[in-house]
Amino acid sequence: MAATNFKIAIVHLTSKVKQTVVAVLGVTFGISMYVFMNSFMSGVNDTQTMLAFTSLAHIRIYNDGPADNTNLIKKAYGPAVIANVRNARIIQYTEGIKNTAEILDLVRKQPEVIGVASQVNINVFFRNGGNKVNGTLAGVDVANEDRLFGISTYMLSGKWNQLQYRPDGIIIGYDLAKDLSVNVNDNINVLTPDAVSRNYKIIGIFQTNVKSVDKTKAYLNINSARQLLAKNEDYVTDLQVNVNNFEATAPVVARLAPVIPYKVESWQMSNQQLEAGSKLRDIIAQAVSFTILLVAGFGIYNILNMTINEKIREIAILKAMGFSSQDVTSIFLTQAMIIGFIGGVIGLLLGFTVSSIVAHIPFKIGGLNYLPMAYKFKDYSLAFAFGLFTTFVAGYLPARKASKIDPVDIIRG
Amino acid sequence: MKSDIALTASHIDKFFHEPEDFQALKDVSFEVKKGEFLSLIGKSGSGKSTLLYILSTMDTDYGGTLVINGEKLTGQTLNQLAAFRNSHIGFVFQFHYLLPEFSVLDNIMLPALKLNKKSREEIEADAYDNLKLLGLPEQALKMANKLSGGQQQRVAIARALINSPSIIMGDEPTGNLDSKNTDIVFNIFRELARERGQTIIAVTHDDDFARNSDRVIELSDGHIVK
Repeated sequence: MAATNFKIAIVHLTSKVKQTVVAVLGVTFGISMYVFMNSFMSGVNDTQTMLAFTSLAHIRIYNDGPADNTNLIKKAYGPAVIANVRNARIIQYTEGIKNTAEILDLVRKQPEVIGVASQVNINVFFRNGGNKVNGTLAGVDVANEDRLFGISTYMLSGKWNQLQYRPDGIIIGYDLAKDLSVNVNDNINVLTPDAVSRNYKIIGIFQTNVKSVDKTKAYLNINSARQLLAKNEDYVTDLQVNVNNFEATAPVVARLAPVIPYKVESWQMSNQQLEAGSKLRDIIAQAVSFTILLVAGFGIYNILNMTINEKIREIAILKAMGFSSQDVTSIFLTQAMIIGFIGGVIGLLLGFTVSSIVAHIPFKIGGLNYLPMAYKFKDYSLAFAFGLFTTFVAGYLPARKASKIDPVDIIRG
Repeated sequence: MKSDIALTASHIDKFFHEPEDFQALKDVSFEVKKGEFLSLIGKSGSGKSTLLYILSTMDTDYGGTLVINGEKLTGQTLNQLAAFRNSHIGFVFQFHYLLPEFSVLDNIMLPALKLNKKSREEIEADAYDNLKLLGLPEQALKMANKLSGGQQQRVAIARALINSPSIIMGDEPTGNLDSKNTDIVFNIFRELARERGQTIIAVTHDDDFARNSDRVIELSDGHIVK
């Protein structure tokens, strides 16, 4: 029986080839735009994420300084006592992270964690003669830093690994080097907040294309940084942690925060604008592609409605011969689904073609060469599923109308 | 239950509400024997077509009861009735109502494919037999809309016969045909009733057609007058 209904559906589709082609093109266009828009947005988001994570870890553990102690008396006596404290000063507080080894051990035990890097970050002045630039000097665990941030791939000159063996070596950002008018093998002077001054030799220059990093950052071996601050072998200011899925930092943070007496912060918490940007782009992509699919759906609805009006006598006669309402529904729904399926397959191919063409359009800003594009199975399968769903709905309404035709009304005229 | 009654209609009432309330059939009761060739005649508006569509099970909005082959059809669901029509009733209309985009053979086979009791090959053989009976075997693979009016009407009869229905109903089956084709169609009906024992109920305007059938029921203003 299904074969007979299928045959009738096929005959309906092939007898009006032009209409069928228009309906198929509607779906094709909708699905290819869905694929393209989402691939493009995924590409943009991936690029954004990649750029962001050149200097940002998924989770950062650091000492966020002492609490607000501007009025200690109030804490002891409450608001009833009027107290006037002037020039409140903090005498001493612990800088950096104590007990690093223990915390490192704890963090490494989390199953999601794929890498931990210790850093000693110092705000310094970089000086070359009369030229002074404010910036951050990061004392890093050379091998782990590269594992987390892939910094070795951003080296313009020099080798990242050299930092491991050169206690006097420093690797600085491209724009920072330009601002200071220095090059590889030149010396620069570093001045710490505690007024310690030291010369280092530039052994490499990097460019991440994130301006704020390239303009202000320099890398040092972590032990040299500890030496610069006159701190012990255990001294660390930041622990940078990467997890296997950067979206899913919340459970790790929730587990670590209560047991670590320091600030445990995910990238989402410190960079909400990044997340908002990527979510908003997703919403735009979905809205645009839904609109296109909706239009395609209306096209199918219209064409099937026309077909039904043209074939109303045939439908009546099929029913007179004993075809049930379900048979009639299935005949027209089959037509819709065939249109959806063919349009969907062609749409996926067209979407892929358009995506790969657009991915070759030059775009030379922020370290990109071409427009970003991601090819994700999820985007393609969702596009296909949405396409089929739209055609199903667009086909079901006219099909139901056809199934309700009363043969007596039509045949008697 | 073995009986020679093919169809029993008892106390059939039918009302139309559009454009105004109007009773088209008033307490119509009769029986039709198996193998009987019955003509329904009457003037326009006498209710004969209305009666036929009720007998055909397509119109379900009526009062009274309808029994065909011992099965009470009043009150069954639309899909049950569709299945019943498929296997027990064959239709021939004033206009042929073939599916124009299908070949003659496909048109004839459709009701049998729907019934799905025989293999495709058997159905095809049956369809060819029917075409031979109607004198059209060489037209089998043509598209339905390429045939002449008389040929199309004969194809429609072949289609009505494909599931060997016990009752064949015709709504002015010769109404659109010239006298030669009318004779052909009439003779086919005659032969079916006599030789295959199939019951024929036909609405007609054609007095010759009615006179030559086994029995005539004449309706006037919703009543049976004879």
